[in-house]
Amino acid sequence: MVRAALASKRRIGKGPSRFAAIIPAATVVLASLLTALPIVSTSGWYPDFGFLAFIGWRLLRSDPWPAWWAAPLGLINDLFTGGPIGLSVALWSAAMLALDLIDRRTQWRDYWIEWAVAAVFLTLDEWLQWRVAKYAGADVPWLAMGPPLVISICVFPLVAWIVSRIDVKRLGR
Amino acid sequence: MATARPGWSRRAQYGLFFSFLAVLAGILVGLILLTLSLVAPARFAAVRGAALDATAPITSALYEVTSTAKGMVTGAGDYWDAAHQNAKLKRERQVMQQRMIEARAILLENRELRAALQLRERARDAVATGRIVGSSFTSPRRFAILSAGRSDGVRVGMPVRSAEGLVGRVIDAGQLASRVLLVSDRSNIVPARLLRGGIPVISQGRGDGTVDVRPLEVGRNPFKRGDIIITSGTGGLYPPLIPIARVIRLDDDGAIALPLADPARTSFAIVEPPYEPAAEAEGPTP
Repeated sequence: MVRAALASKRRIGKGPSRFAAIIPAATVVLASLLTALPIVSTSGWYPDFGFLAFIGWRLLRSDPWPAWWAAPLGLINDLFTGGPIGLSVALWSAAMLALDLIDRRTQWRDYWIEWAVAAVFLTLDEWLQWRVAKYAGADVPWLAMGPPLVISICVFPLVAWIVSRIDVKRLGR
Repeated sequence: MATARPGWSRRAQYGLFFSFLAVLAGILVGLILLTLSLVAPARFAAVRGAALDATAPITSALYEVTSTAKGMVTGAGDYWDAAHQNAKLKRERQVMQQRMIEARAILLENRELRAALQLRERARDAVATGRIVGSSFTSPRRFAILSAGRSDGVRVGMPVRSAEGLVGRVIDAGQLASRVLLVSDRSNIVPARLLRGGIPVISQGRGDGTVDVRPLEVGRNPFKRGDIIITSGTGGLYPPLIPIARVIRLDDDGAIALPLADPARTSFAIVEPPYEPAAEAEGPTP
């Protein structure tokens, strides 16, 4: 009985997954691909799944992928979501840089701070999309962007939880 | 690049510095691409089409599954209350038949009048038929994915309609699928008129599934709840007499209307050639 209590739950020979290095990036691409689902949204209140997964991974770990992968991941997101090409490339690269600076400054982190940081980045994302749509001729009032923003901020904890589960599986813990 | 200084190793320091440069390059490239896609949207037509083709098979296959499931649910619902529905349909049929005879008489009269005026009928053949299988999820723009592409003859700028009304126009065309700018997108401005009275109006999307309609002449608000808005054919892109939307709410100088062709429920969409061949769709694209 004592032995059983002392024994680690970890089974011998169980290590990180063979694709541990690319699983984070692959899940971000999969999240971008969710727009391929045959759902016709007339209001456009679905969150930006690709960016949610991206921020979720980056807040969980400082090195889910090499920093420069942000650009190609953003390009894939732009192509699949049909947004203006280059928006996610610039935004996601800038988010990598900004989050590194934030990592350097913050003394401690908890769920609330992570949620607040994610909320700031999601707001920035919506604002940029709104701004670019304005330049492209679709001048929507800023208030109309409220519901999708609130929805994506509320969905973030769920995404962060899914990402952390995938991370545990990925590292074989 | 998590810490400021990764120790005394020159190699690690250089690695950190180069990854910083790579991210900066990523931001720069992104901004350049974004500027290009705003200034010259046609430049990315090929790569956008290829991306559409990459996801088209997934979307179409999943669409079959969901529509079958939906059909089973509504099919079962139709058996419920069948007798009552039958009586109602019979009554409606009576009324419809009277209307049809009236319409036939009007058609005949119309044909005679046209012959008298020597009006030339422009034959409009459908270019392709497809289904609306998906849409843009987020962003202030409203796009839909149509399951017909270049191989069916679809080209950028062609108007898309369904049996119920106008859907929008094609803005990206891949080989297998194309992207449609819906009438509810903010940048989609359709010259229109009121069915009742023929007053010229302008329809502009609001980005949330409805459209704004404004009269061309400032003055009294000509709209009433339930008014039907139809295309006027001005500008030459959209053919005339296609129903667009029904007015649901009035505001100070116009009204808010709901598109008659709901892209979420439209089964088939028809791609037509531009009404006037010279009218190529210029104007804002993503």
